Amino acid sequence: MSKELIRLRDCVMSYGDEVVLDHINLYINDKEFLTLLGPSGCGKTTTLRMIGGFLSPTAGDVLFDGVRINDVPPHLRTVNTVFQRYALFPHLNVFENVAFGLRIPKKDGDGRKVKISEREIHERVMEMLEVVNLKGFEKRPVSALSGGQQQRVAIARALVNRPKVLLLDEPLGALDMRLRKDMQNELKRIQQEMEITFIYVTHDQEEALAMSDTVVVMDGGRIQQIGTPEDIYNEPKNAFVADFIGESNIIDGIMRADRVVEIFNRKFQCLDKGFGKDEPVDVVIRPEDVDIVDEAAGQLRGAVTSVTFKGVHYDTIVDFYGFKWLIQTTDFCPVDSRIGIKIDPDGIHVMKKSQYSGMFGDYSSYSEEYDELDVVEPEDEDGEERDSQEGGYEE
Amino acid sequence: MKRKNRVGSRIFIGLTFLFLYLPIFLLIIFSFNAGESSAVWQGFSLKWYTALFKNRLIMNSLYTTLLVSLLATAISTVAGTFAAIGLYSLSRRKRDALLVVNDIPMMNADIVTGVSLCLFFVAFFEGWGAFAHWFNTQELSVLGHILHLPDELALGFGTMLLAHITFNIPYVILNVAPKLRQMDKNLVDAAQDLGCTWMQAFGKVILPEIKPGIVSGALIAFTMSIDDFVISYFTAGSSTSTLAMRIYSMTKKRITPEVNAVSTLLFLSVLVLLVLNNVREIRQERRTEQQEIRDPSFFEKLSMKFSHPSYKWVRRGAGAVMACAFIVAVVLLTGATSSRPVVNVCSWGEYIDEDLITQFEDETGIRVNYQTSESNEDLYSLLKIGGADYDVIVPSDYMISQLIEEGMLQELDYSQIPNFDLIDGRFKYLPYDPENKYTVPYAWGTLGIIYNASMVDEEIDSWSALYDDKYAGSVLLINNSRDALGEALLYLGYSVNTTDEAEIREAFSLISDASQRKVFQGKVMDQVFQKMEGGNAAIATYYAGDYLSMLENQADGVDLRYVIPKEGANWFVDAMCVLKDAPHYAEAMEWINFIASTKANLANMDYIGYASPNTQALEDYPSYYEEKYGEELDPELYEIMAAPPEVLERCESYVVLPPATRALYNDLWIELGA
Repeated sequence: MSKELIRLRDCVMSYGDEVVLDHINLYINDKEFLTLLGPSGCGKTTTLRMIGGFLSPTAGDVLFDGVRINDVPPHLRTVNTVFQRYALFPHLNVFENVAFGLRIPKKDGDGRKVKISEREIHERVMEMLEVVNLKGFEKRPVSALSGGQQQRVAIARALVNRPKVLLLDEPLGALDMRLRKDMQNELKRIQQEMEITFIYVTHDQEEALAMSDTVVVMDGGRIQQIGTPEDIYNEPKNAFVADFIGESNIIDGIMRADRVVEIFNRKFQCLDKGFGKDEPVDVVIRPEDVDIVDEAAGQLRGAVTSVTFKGVHYDTIVDFYGFKWLIQTTDFCPVDSRIGIKIDPDGIHVMKKSQYSGMFGDYSSYSEEYDELDVVEPEDEDGEERDSQEGGYEE
Repeated sequence: MKRKNRVGSRIFIGLTFLFLYLPIFLLIIFSFNAGESSAVWQGFSLKWYTALFKNRLIMNSLYTTLLVSLLATAISTVAGTFAAIGLYSLSRRKRDALLVVNDIPMMNADIVTGVSLCLFFVAFFEGWGAFAHWFNTQELSVLGHILHLPDELALGFGTMLLAHITFNIPYVILNVAPKLRQMDKNLVDAAQDLGCTWMQAFGKVILPEIKPGIVSGALIAFTMSIDDFVISYFTAGSSTSTLAMRIYSMTKKRITPEVNAVSTLLFLSVLVLLVLNNVREIRQERRTEQQEIRDPSFFEKLSMKFSHPSYKWVRRGAGAVMACAFIVAVVLLTGATSSRPVVNVCSWGEYIDEDLITQFEDETGIRVNYQTSESNEDLYSLLKIGGADYDVIVPSDYMISQLIEEGMLQELDYSQIPNFDLIDGRFKYLPYDPENKYTVPYAWGTLGIIYNASMVDEEIDSWSALYDDKYAGSVLLINNSRDALGEALLYLGYSVNTTDEAEIREAFSLISDASQRKVFQGKVMDQVFQKMEGGNAAIATYYAGDYLSMLENQADGVDLRYVIPKEGANWFVDAMCVLKDAPHYAEAMEWINFIASTKANLANMDYIGYASPNTQALEDYPSYYEEKYGEELDPELYEIMAAPPEVLERCESYVVLPPATRALYNDLWIELGA
């Protein structure tokens, strides 16, 4: 698990003046499930295409097993890709789609062409179809399959070549919610069964948290944070990560001493230390870490401005001194009622100020922001640049 | 109300289709006419189809057409497909701009494309000539052979092929581009990701995806190629002609049922191609609509079978065979044209007994490249552009004097044309070639009045009949300023070659007055045949030779007569000349000598109906006729064909008019039209 397989060293990708990737440093271990997570245009797909061999970095190196592969074309790399919207070959049936890669003669170490026998092809394809639960579908035209089935064909087509790494570019983006959840489990299962590295690109933080061993949060062509899902959620490095991963109230605070942070002129106990004295900081408080108490007993007091029933809990927006917080609670508090809150020290996370400070974490325009977070990613995040710079076949 | 509308719209649709297809339908029907007329049905017969397949010139041009269409389609399909793929790897802005540029040649008038390509080729040949000359003087040698570049290139099959490729490529791009647009751009990435090189991805993924576009592009390119006339006309030069060009030249004088037959075949083959293409498209649409599992058809099974990898050798073999066939075709094509001596002849449509060509080829071993031109003026402009490399041309008298004046002809070597002595003295040293250094006469005839005796109650003997109110609405004016004004000048007692503006204007007002009084039914050239044969007009002016063929085809109740009016008429001589830069001078002398022989003159006189200038042939023709057809030649008809000396005395031939007079003719003619 811990052997390093891929390393991106100081990778820069730029088209003219436009920098798409800004000095990316990243290593990926063997058999790891790593997710590149970020909003549209953050550079995650560009990173993936660089590993796949469809792009070559403007500067920096891509290493595979310690060997520089910057200029190795895609067909000679031992990685395979599951594309956005699958990119199945419409003129071939399920079997032939999966068999496609096996039918291409490969050169062995001595430069001789090696062909795989028809029998072996048949065995491997059928085995793969079984892995993705598509047995009995081999004669179907791919156009006659549902979205989820097409997705499985795409995965089988990539995996049948026994790649060391499977690259997945928003593979579940086109599926509905239900199917997405099923496929998440399926993918995780396949990854564990096949024991290979998955590099997964998504803009869906839930997906990233649920499946990954490691999450890489990206924005503006830079890596914002690398860590396990728990690290990322619990210890976000800056306001961007805190906001992008889950719901967060992000408030300006001042570090008065180790383990003491001041918010709204009140001192709170926390677990963070090592900041300068009186250093301004961003404070993250997750909505579920807030306890509602009587107004009199609260550390902070405010009035409820809106309540939305979410099934397990209520999304309650509370106005504290003009700053609106999101609180997730099982207690119902009617609108306009005055409440108090308590926050335990481990519910408070203190971050250094960053370029993102002040941009996120206020729920005063709650509904819009909610929409924005859930917005469906445009189909091709950096399609425009690619289209204008090195072309493509899309309309 | 609704129902009524529906009936109305059906009738409207019916009429529209009738309007569109009735002419073609008529053409098809008349291609099966036993008679020669295009107006009178004389029973069912396949003889024109038989004649068609025996017609060497038509078969030759059919071969040329198919070859150029197939080659142009193959090459432009490959080029267009790759061009489309290239376009799609550009940025959207550049691609859209280029696609607009791609549309322009399709929108452009064919005539513009044709003329500009012609000019381009000619300009290139001049540059090439200079380069080749310089190169050859360097005497570079490789492996002991001195490299020699041909320094005289000419328009021909090659340039026509290039032109066809040029105008076909946009159609291919136009058909392939939408398929590329529909294609998921990730497919190529996916194929490369799975181990394909770009070329493999092209073959395994792009090609199957865009195949429908390629096939329909190729079909449309082939259709465009096969029926192109204008562009071919300007780029084929003198040595090649396509079926469309051949048909056009055959309609110069009259539309023979042979033309109907070949047009029918051409129409049907284009129709079949279009239907094929449409059926294919509809099938495809249905397939993508249904998208359900179904049993593959027989052909799909077959193609699946052969696309299976273990049949790779079959496909490779087929590819190799096709490649070989292509190479062999090209080699045969170029080889066949280069090995034998050749003479390029340009004449008029239906103006030679084609057996003579075969005889000449058999006797001398010289291949005859026989082309035809539409009119003296067309020939002249083609020569002026420099788009022709004819050796022998057969212009009319006035054009000859113009060509001599402009130094475009070459003196003949009469020592190699002993048969020139057989030409009657009356046809030598004529005004157009006073010293007879450039010409050997080919045929001659008169331009007189043809009238339908059952529609007039007198014997017509004067040009006055043309302007007479008595015949209002049934006179056909010849649609050619020189002839129409010439007739009027003759009637007024002036010379047809007068340069006196007052005389010409007087002649013109005679015509325009008659025109205002609605004497003329119309101005016609080719339509004169149908009109007169069918009894739709009473009086016309045309050539004696053509009168004979009208006579054969006149409908029941029509009684056509020919007369040379008492005021006199125009008579003409067409003579063979050799162009200044003729590439095959010696062969040209042989050809001219052969055509001047008595045997050839007899055959031509019989075939074309114009009089021969050969003394012996003129004398022998009646007995030749009797021997050939088993009946006596009507002496009256013979006199019409070959006007006797005393009649010819009254006639005057045209000489070239000075530019100012030509301009006046032109202006007056335009005035009449307006």
